[in-house]
Amino acid sequence: MAGTLQRQPTVTPARRLAWRAGAIVTALAITTLFLALSGRDPRLLADLVVRSTVGSRFGLEDLALFLTPLLLTGAAVTVTGRIGVWNIGAEGQFYAGAIGATAIGLFLPGPSWLVLPLMAASGIACGMGWILVPALARAYAGVNEIITTLLLNFVAGLLTTYLAVGPWHDRVTGALASTGRLPVRIPEIWGVVHWGFPIALAIVLGLAWLTTRTSWGYQITVGGANEQAARYAGIPVRARILGVMLLSGGLAALAGMFEVAGTVHRLQGGLANNFGYFGIVVAVLARGSCLNVLPAALLMAFILNAGIVLQTQQLTGSAVLAITGLVLFMIAIADELAHYRPVTVRPVTPRPATRAEVRP
Amino acid sequence: MRNHDHSGSGMTTHAPIRRLLTSRRHMLGLAAGAAGSGLLRPPALRAQPRTLLPVAEADALVAFGHTSPVTDGGWTMAHDQGVQAVRRAFPRLRTVYVESVPYSADATRIFRQFVAEGAQMVIATSNYGDFIRDVSDRAPDVAFMECDGHAVSGNLGWYYITHWYASYVIGIAAGLMTRTNKIGFVGSFPIPSVYAGANAVLLGARSVNPAATLQAISINAWFDPQAATQAGSALADNGCDFLCGIMDEPAYLRVAEQRGIKAAMWNTDMRQYGPEAYVSSVTLDFRDYYVEQVRARLAGTWQPQGHFLTLGHGVDRDPWGRTVPPEVAAQADAMRTRIMQGYNPFQGPIHDAAGRLRVPQGQAMDDALIYQWDWAVAGVTGLD
Repeated sequence: MAGTLQRQPTVTPARRLAWRAGAIVTALAITTLFLALSGRDPRLLADLVVRSTVGSRFGLEDLALFLTPLLLTGAAVTVTGRIGVWNIGAEGQFYAGAIGATAIGLFLPGPSWLVLPLMAASGIACGMGWILVPALARAYAGVNEIITTLLLNFVAGLLTTYLAVGPWHDRVTGALASTGRLPVRIPEIWGVVHWGFPIALAIVLGLAWLTTRTSWGYQITVGGANEQAARYAGIPVRARILGVMLLSGGLAALAGMFEVAGTVHRLQGGLANNFGYFGIVVAVLARGSCLNVLPAALLMAFILNAGIVLQTQQLTGSAVLAITGLVLFMIAIADELAHYRPVTVRPVTPRPATRAEVRP
Repeated sequence: MRNHDHSGSGMTTHAPIRRLLTSRRHMLGLAAGAAGSGLLRPPALRAQPRTLLPVAEADALVAFGHTSPVTDGGWTMAHDQGVQAVRRAFPRLRTVYVESVPYSADATRIFRQFVAEGAQMVIATSNYGDFIRDVSDRAPDVAFMECDGHAVSGNLGWYYITHWYASYVIGIAAGLMTRTNKIGFVGSFPIPSVYAGANAVLLGARSVNPAATLQAISINAWFDPQAATQAGSALADNGCDFLCGIMDEPAYLRVAEQRGIKAAMWNTDMRQYGPEAYVSSVTLDFRDYYVEQVRARLAGTWQPQGHFLTLGHGVDRDPWGRTVPPEVAAQADAMRTRIMQGYNPFQGPIHDAAGRLRVPQGQAMDDALIYQWDWAVAGVTGLD
């Protein structure tokens, strides 16, 4: 009788959840240890973090504001992951969406009920346009989308800064390095939380249904699992890759439209606040399931929100970033370890040969 | 006391209450009501300054939001010295700060968190525009101050230094010391403080050397030593032999030291990073001002307003570097003395970079106008 570890090909959700909970607890324990060693009271900090995030209306509002873009960028990266494509460019598509929305918001006068949907449509179109070239290159020429989408992020970020300090620069109210304030805004429903939040939630739920309950979703899953087999089965894989990538660009762009029309109200450099990159983290945590984007984005939003609380307690931004990294690192390890389970190897004792097997 | 001559009117009519406990609830209640746009609100409501109730020193929490790390050796370090002065002056008061507050919606979250933790006074040591305004409008019992801000509301004021006079004085030294007549300028964004800094340097230089020109590069950051180094090198490659700029840190001084050219800095005395290249610096001192403002807040006499810290009172040129010829220093300092006596060197005619006459002969640009400067003067390239 000898014990050994065996890698299981699949992991039950309950098992993965338990491992992840263990990972978070471990990360928090390490954090607590270091905070205590540096002379802080971890209990006071923990109490403050909980009160300032999930323990008060104020914190919940902030959490919802963080969640809104994270849900959309997380979903944007998750849907492409289902067909085996990595959209690292959510940050750039976010900016493209914000630019497209701002162009309408600034220069098309009209009532909110008309301008806001037009802003969303224009933003989504710009986000799709931003990913169109990488998507075509990936679908028809096999160009690695990780590089092309990533590099376009810097172009979009600089383009935003250029517009904000250049042609669209606000010269009326004296705001620095940003465009004028948009005359329309997404209505708020609860404190500072605007309609973008429930819409983002609904979109993620809709995507969960679309990807798991429709034949379109099934084709994407098969295309992601084995492109050759999918093609052989008659699935138009190229068209699906193109469609999914455009959908992804549109989702990230909508996040940009929500941010500029609901939260910031001006176009400016740094608007995306790394939400596009955090979307990748959310997607990794969600492991390809759109439904999982909800808890994954919630965890990310909580971490980001807690980071701000900790900074007001004189922890430096770098320490907060390190804690974030530790939590995600532990989860990554736990996800892998969840595959292993101890098995007892019973030595196979050779059966004694029966008479019938004995050949003369 | 440079700006406070008002007595604590209205302060005696209110019973002091524990604002620490109530401020947050108050804010959250208001958050629900204040859903409309700040722009849509009638202007009368925002212009009404309200007297905030006094706060006991032991109950007071003053929060600072900084744009770069307190160890940046420049802008934020200068403000942090002000924070330390507040701590010394009011030992029982609590101060907190957050460094590297981004110019994004995260700034709003940080300022909101300050309010939630019970701060009675929030001081942003850089411009955060709507990000601070959104919070101050929803927390009317908290005093907000924004360095380089432009809005004054019932509980939000701004303060800034009239650095353009120090830049003008340094510009005279630049005009006298440049051999190539090309001055380089490492800027952050094409915004009024950068326009004012670059324009003042060149106007000062041209007052003694009409052939001088200024080439600016914007690096889209206040604190990015790597980009500042690249910009400084590019300017030196272009023939600039005198570098100026507005950076929070000394990166382009190191470039000047290596390239054997001169540099004038900002914020603090940075000569140790390039003793041969160092000419001077626009030095800042917020200590007295912060102590005075916090004292007013505690006493209940704080009023939201716009305030300039003037030459010799919060902003100045640093003692000249060791390689600055004495006659150059004397000529520049003669102008410094004149300005401190009330002279305004920003006299017309001043043309913009496109050649249009912007300030006619016989007129001058006052501080309020310079604070909104959004065009480059003739001879400045790279900003428009």
